[in-house]
Amino acid sequence: MKHWWWKLLGVLLLLGASVAALRVPLSPALVHVEPGRIAPGPVELTLTGYNTHFAQEGVKVFLENGGERLCATEVQVLSPTLVQARFDVPEGLRDHLSNVVVVDVTHGRLAIPGAVFTTGTGDGSGVESCAETLADAAPVKTFTFPNRNILYESIRNLCFHVPMWFAMIVLMAISVWKSVRALGSNDLDDDRAALHAVQVGLLFCGMGLVTGSIWARATWGTWWTNDVKLNGSAVTALIYLAYLVLRGSVQDPHKRARLAGIYNIFAFALLVMFLFVVPRLNAVDSLHPANGGNDGFGDLDLDDRLRTVFYPACMGWILMATWMYDLRLRAARLQERLER
Amino acid sequence: MKKLLTSLPAALVGMPLWAQAPGWVEDSLYRSGKINAVVVVVAVILVGLAVWMFRMDRRITAMERDRAKGS
Amino acid sequence: MAELRWPCRGNASTDRGRVRPTFAPVDFREIASLLRLELALDLRQRAAWGGMLLYVVSAVYVSFLAVKGGLGTATWNALYWIILLFAAFNALARSFQREEGGRQLYLYTLAHPRNVVLARALYNTVVMAVLSLLSLVCYLLFMGPEPLGGADVPQFLLAVVLGGTGMAAVLTLIAAIAARAGNGLGLMAILGFPIVLPMLLAVMRASKLALDGVAWSVNATYFGALLLLHLITITLAWLLFPYLWRD
Repeated sequence: MKHWWWKLLGVLLLLGASVAALRVPLSPALVHVEPGRIAPGPVELTLTGYNTHFAQEGVKVFLENGGERLCATEVQVLSPTLVQARFDVPEGLRDHLSNVVVVDVTHGRLAIPGAVFTTGTGDGSGVESCAETLADAAPVKTFTFPNRNILYESIRNLCFHVPMWFAMIVLMAISVWKSVRALGSNDLDDDRAALHAVQVGLLFCGMGLVTGSIWARATWGTWWTNDVKLNGSAVTALIYLAYLVLRGSVQDPHKRARLAGIYNIFAFALLVMFLFVVPRLNAVDSLHPANGGNDGFGDLDLDDRLRTVFYPACMGWILMATWMYDLRLRAARLQERLER
Repeated sequence: MKKLLTSLPAALVGMPLWAQAPGWVEDSLYRSGKINAVVVVVAVILVGLAVWMFRMDRRITAMERDRAKGS
Repeated sequence: MAELRWPCRGNASTDRGRVRPTFAPVDFREIASLLRLELALDLRQRAAWGGMLLYVVSAVYVSFLAVKGGLGTATWNALYWIILLFAAFNALARSFQREEGGRQLYLYTLAHPRNVVLARALYNTVVMAVLSLLSLVCYLLFMGPEPLGGADVPQFLLAVVLGGTGMAAVLTLIAAIAARAGNGLGLMAILGFPIVLPMLLAVMRASKLALDGVAWSVNATYFGALLLLHLITITLAWLLFPYLWRD
């Protein structure tokens, strides 16, 4: 088998990354605080953790508001994931929203920012930080995925959904390169290669749209939304479907090669502008991370541990997609020769 | 197995938007160990895909070799 | 009409209708002559202009009948752009269909194809600029000028003109492709719509911001991006057009 090494590499990377993406645990985090609204006076908060292992002793709970820290008067650990804390909330807190912070030796500092809401606020003058300091515990770093708000476990989808787009872009780039060559030479094989690259690319585009839609329903609550990246993916699908329609409406092979090639190059250039330039403009709002004012994927969601699974997954899918295109092209060449 | 596969998208869709103190914490696919079923399913699908592509590649290479020999 | 000369640079050949693309530098005199040619042809077919305007008036009137009441600013804006989009498809589809194969080939023996496409693109942008402003007038007449009350009018006009010319820049090459494929307006709409869509979204956003009366600095990103888009599309059309004619 020709070039077996990168094909095998693709399969191994894909298998390894997919299994890891599903098996690696999420890092411990606080996910819920009950009740959400508090009033001055005695308050009892129940905190739920995910993947936490709270010990019976040594757990400290704080409320952070307006730069001041309130200590819990009593902390009770009900289970490894459930903590109850009692506070004496003073009058006149500075901010409406307070952060809930849990510190212990195993996990270090876990927090939910802005978890509890207070109506009666003041100038924060009567509030003082309590004496207890945060134990500077550096928890043991295990290999876990980040546990983000809204996403939770579905962050694993990163290693399945996003590589679809990477594979699609690589394949469309291959098709543009072949189109450029087809315009330069008069070789119909380049045009055939461009067509098959577009076909496999469209398959990955479709899969990306479907998987993205499922993920959106699970996290944002809707199958589709007016978001710049979604518009970009819809436009990509429409452009390459139009490419196929254009090919279908021209009979002469050489003319078809030229017209399709010109459209491919033109559309790809504009597409690249739309996919990569416009979302970076701060003027554009977006639900997606790293676009339009949201914090970059770089430092928050995509930390190093997730990246060591994400990049191999991307590479694996790109190699598989290229292999698929390669197979289709070779089969088409053989078929064309048979029909001659 | 099939039931799990078909119920997976439905489960994802049916999951509420984490507004309540979650009972899902305990019965999420991950916690209850059912994730292993998903892992096996995904692995089977990917291995099957790889095997199919490998065999297709072999067949095409054989045809190309025949073609080159001038059949 | 000034004498049109073929800019022979040694590599160019018109062997059996074969037009080899060369990187001839832009010949402004030739482009000027071609523009005059376009204008002359258009003046001769004044009915075509009437047709374009009638299309716009009909579309606006239908919208007026359908909506009747007061529209929110966002909807008012969006409806205008949708009407203009389809009017643009209509107007630009004709630009390459005026000549059939033989006459077009004759044109390319007289003028370099690259100059032809530049002249056509320029002419189309002027046509679209005029059409977008005329459509706006028509739209204001029927749908009411209330949204302009709180708007930064020069900004809005700039957005309208940039949007129109942007459509022309993008759709010139598409019209050429569709005409060459022989399928005219239908194929042009299919090919052109996904390509125009991103630009349309940007210009809709820019004009909406202008209607909200925001400062120039806020909208400047969009205007800058639109101008860049004009530049890129016309450059691409200039590069790719001759390949349409390599038989």
